[in-house]
Amino acid sequence: MKLIITQFLRFILFIVAQTLIFNNLEIGFGIQIMVYPLFLMLLPFDTSIVILLLLAFVMGISIDAISNTYGLHTSSLLLVAYLRPIIFGIFSPREGYDSIKESTIFEMGQRWFISVFGLLLVIHHLWFFALEMFKMSEILLILKKTLFSVPVSFLLCILLQIVFVTKPKEK
Amino acid sequence: MHNLIAFFRRFRIFMLFALLQIYALTNYFTYLNFPRSQWLTSSSVVASAILTVRNSITKHWALTENNIALQEENVRLRKKISPSFIRIDNQLVKIDDSLYLQQYDYVPGIIINSSCNQRNNFFTINIGEKQGIKRGMGVFSDKGIIGVIHNTSDHFSVVKSVLTESVNVDVIIESSGAFGLLKWDGKDPRRGSISGISNDIKIKKGSKIVTRGGAGNFPRGLTVGHIETLKSVEGKPLWDVSFIFSENYRVVQNVYVVKNLLQQEQNKIEKEIPEDIQQ
Repeated sequence: MKLIITQFLRFILFIVAQTLIFNNLEIGFGIQIMVYPLFLMLLPFDTSIVILLLLAFVMGISIDAISNTYGLHTSSLLLVAYLRPIIFGIFSPREGYDSIKESTIFEMGQRWFISVFGLLLVIHHLWFFALEMFKMSEILLILKKTLFSVPVSFLLCILLQIVFVTKPKEK
Repeated sequence: MHNLIAFFRRFRIFMLFALLQIYALTNYFTYLNFPRSQWLTSSSVVASAILTVRNSITKHWALTENNIALQEENVRLRKKISPSFIRIDNQLVKIDDSLYLQQYDYVPGIIINSSCNQRNNFFTINIGEKQGIKRGMGVFSDKGIIGVIHNTSDHFSVVKSVLTESVNVDVIIESSGAFGLLKWDGKDPRRGSISGISNDIKIKKGSKIVTRGGAGNFPRGLTVGHIETLKSVEGKPLWDVSFIFSENYRVVQNVYVVKNLLQQEQNKIEKEIPEDIQQ
């Protein structure tokens, strides 16, 4: 029960933060900050993929409705939800995932988090910008936008975890 | 039948994914041209309520700049009204005449949500059908044009800004009279381009670009920007005109929506063209 309430609060907070704060930060160079894939990333390891997909859909639709993008965020977030179990499988530790642990940067280690979340974020941003432009001739612009936006989003995601996620106690 | 059930069972997750994905994509691609699903846009009830609250907090941040801009506009308009003029000739008598008929009416509004860094940028404004706003009406601010109304609800509307792929406002270069369509390449929110200007027309850098008013959604002569660079398009007898927008779309707040009182008349007479050709 506690888990559902925390996840629900996170769900709302991510939508609010993305639409009301991060959508309005305009740094230039075509940078667009998208931090909401972190919500899907932080769901427990044993979440079933159907729930992942449905959550991604509802979250994407809500963000799209407020930021006038009509399905762009939904589509990219659905892709992240679909690929999450596959990428988790590729990078799984030798003895499998411990279902008590959370997939934060503190509990899983920096190396694991950077490779898994980095890959998901690159896929998400690439899909988003490719759909937004939707022209082969604009491929350089798509790559440039992805290249500039991913590091900024990634750093913000790590910052969000440092500020808001409680660290496990040192043993 | 058994095989079919086994097939569905095996691919059910992928099918759920595909189903949701198709819904999202069709929504995205159809909406860009035909606004249909009202609940998915920022003019819907819930989204607009959230945005109104946000705007009530953030609107104060650019208050000084906006007040100065409005004051400048007031000064400009005040110069035109009768108390600013002295009568020179006492012999003339002014009679209210019927030489002028009002064609355009303006409804003031405030932008409550906007973006500048996407390929297609839509702005939400706080006036809607209750104020008589309809799809296709033009929107401008005191410095330049903003876009065209794309979708409306009772109290809010979504504006398809000039920072979109296919806004196609017809504009004219004031010094030479050449006209073309306004385009935006999606890279820089400060610069736009004009397509369709033949390269035998002489164009000076820095000339002013204004609206042509052909479609009837903008009055003629609203400022759009100033020409920055001129290049010739390879293989075509056309200029590639790049210009700087006179409005800064990242800070604009106060806008006006254009109501053309003679729009129906114009539409009616323009509909008659193809029928004449057929005869």
